[in-house]
Amino acid sequence: MTALTAPAPARPARAAVRNRYLAGLLTARGLTGLALVGTVALAGLLAPLLTGHDPNAQGPLALAGPSAAHPLGTDDLGRDLLSRVLHGITTDLALTFGAVPAGALLGCSLALLAATHRWADTAVQRLFDLVLAFPGLILALAVTAVLGPGRWPVFIVIALAEIPLFGRQLRSGILVQREREYALAARVGGASRARVLLRHVLPNAVDPLIVQSAVALSVGVFIEGAMSFLGLGVRPPEPTLGSILSQSVGYLATHPTFAAAPLAATTALVLGFTLIAEALNRGIRR
Amino acid sequence: MRSFLLKRLPSGLLVLLLASFVVFLILRLIPGDPATTLAGPDAGPQAVAAIRAQLGLDEPLLTQYLHWLGALLTGDLGRSYAIGGQVAELIGDGIGATVQLTAAALLLVVLLALPLGVLGATAERRPVAAAVRAFTTAVLAVPPFVTGVLLVLLFAVTLGLLPAGGHESLLDAPDLALQYLLLPAVCLALPSAAVLARYLKDGIERALAEDYVRTATAAGVSRRRIVWRHALPNALPSAVTVLGLQIGHLVAGAVLVERIFAWPGLGQLVEQGVLRRDYPVVQALLLLTVAGYVAVQLLTDLVYAWLDPRIRWE
Repeated sequence: MTALTAPAPARPARAAVRNRYLAGLLTARGLTGLALVGTVALAGLLAPLLTGHDPNAQGPLALAGPSAAHPLGTDDLGRDLLSRVLHGITTDLALTFGAVPAGALLGCSLALLAATHRWADTAVQRLFDLVLAFPGLILALAVTAVLGPGRWPVFIVIALAEIPLFGRQLRSGILVQREREYALAARVGGASRARVLLRHVLPNAVDPLIVQSAVALSVGVFIEGAMSFLGLGVRPPEPTLGSILSQSVGYLATHPTFAAAPLAATTALVLGFTLIAEALNRGIRR
Repeated sequence: MRSFLLKRLPSGLLVLLLASFVVFLILRLIPGDPATTLAGPDAGPQAVAAIRAQLGLDEPLLTQYLHWLGALLTGDLGRSYAIGGQVAELIGDGIGATVQLTAAALLLVVLLALPLGVLGATAERRPVAAAVRAFTTAVLAVPPFVTGVLLVLLFAVTLGLLPAGGHESLLDAPDLALQYLLLPAVCLALPSAAVLARYLKDGIERALAEDYVRTATAAGVSRRRIVWRHALPNALPSAVTVLGLQIGHLVAGAVLVERIFAWPGLGQLVEQGVLRRDYPVVQALLLLTVAGYVAVQLLTDLVYAWLDPRIRWE
């Protein structure tokens, strides 16, 4: 994922900042994104209320079409598709909303560490380069080769992939902000380097990170799906959006409805996150 | 040009050597060892030890590494532990199809990105520019496995124009082979094409704001000629760098796309190798990827220097 933002110019008061995020979100683009993500997330969270079926319980009716008992039909093992998709959404969201903050926190900590010393900066930069040199899928293969497939490897791959993206954004933000007059003035005024960095520079460098978070969430859903498709993801029978979709590929010609629900949920999530990212990006640029 | 290569080659080889060491070491740090897996659940410790000795796994790590490296230099990739057969043959079986798919996708990336980038930068009417933007955003946001399933549903299931998956030899039946190739190649190419189109658009827009464009306009040069002969060539070098980076994504993406379209490339071997702890196979595949990456970077630098006369070969 390429960087969507340039380091932002100096910020006025904090109240205004909050309004700019809001202003960005309250556009057609932002609201569409929020609606898409909100609908899917709500459906996932309300899964126990919306369906009485156990997502892993197999039934006699395999690949059945929609009916009163199974509103979306059943999969190749006779499991209720609606229940599987809803629980899959929960798994996907739990993974991404857990792994993305973990990766972001690590990346930002490293960026702050890099700001303390020239050598630390070089070391952290090389570390970021190392992770970036592995295209995402190769990273997934390497981690799974070490840990075996499962839920935690997916979590780790998502977090690892986000570390350099957040780290680089924050590092470039800090480099720009640190040279501005207010930061120099604080230094002249006697504030310690650590205080200037944490109290003055950091709050002004977070804008791009907010946008990056929305992008990162869509990348998380992407990584989960890709790993499931390769058989390296969360282990069956636990449903994820990626695993249901990858199952359905074998039946596209005969039972195209099998793919419809996981396809719609995945698309809504990634498009929603992307739209939110764009809306926020426009908001902070004005 | 020779001195340029002489300067770049050693650093590329150094990266490769370093990568070989890292790849070797990472796989040895994995808990569990292939001898136990191979011997099966009922084997006693003696049988496991015998297999370890047979595979050379009881030697010191450095000795194992040097053996592997030495064999590698003579073109011997070793025998697969779990899948069976020579690693070189296993890779040889799949690499043709994967390279075919990646090359076709690369061609499509360029063919799609050039017009999209130019259109995005020069569209006079807002709806056209907005449409190009929306398209690149959507294609970038949606993962290739979603695009792949959508393409199959539309072109194979609903319209019945193209096969949903499979592969046909390009030599035996070229027309049929192209039909099988088209959907996976498009699916693989779309995200990279969107990235490249965005960089091209930005590059062309920046070039169009330059003084020499104003001069050319004042001198009566047509708009079309300015865009294609002046702005585009100035946007190309940085686009080539981006394209070089995208090739890495294409190769990784190919593994994924192969699964969706039942394309008989390296994807299957990658999965089997990883899941069954087949060291020689995974080692060779990872190293092959790095080698390809280094080669592409070198090639990118060469093309960059060729496109931008300000960069000297020396």
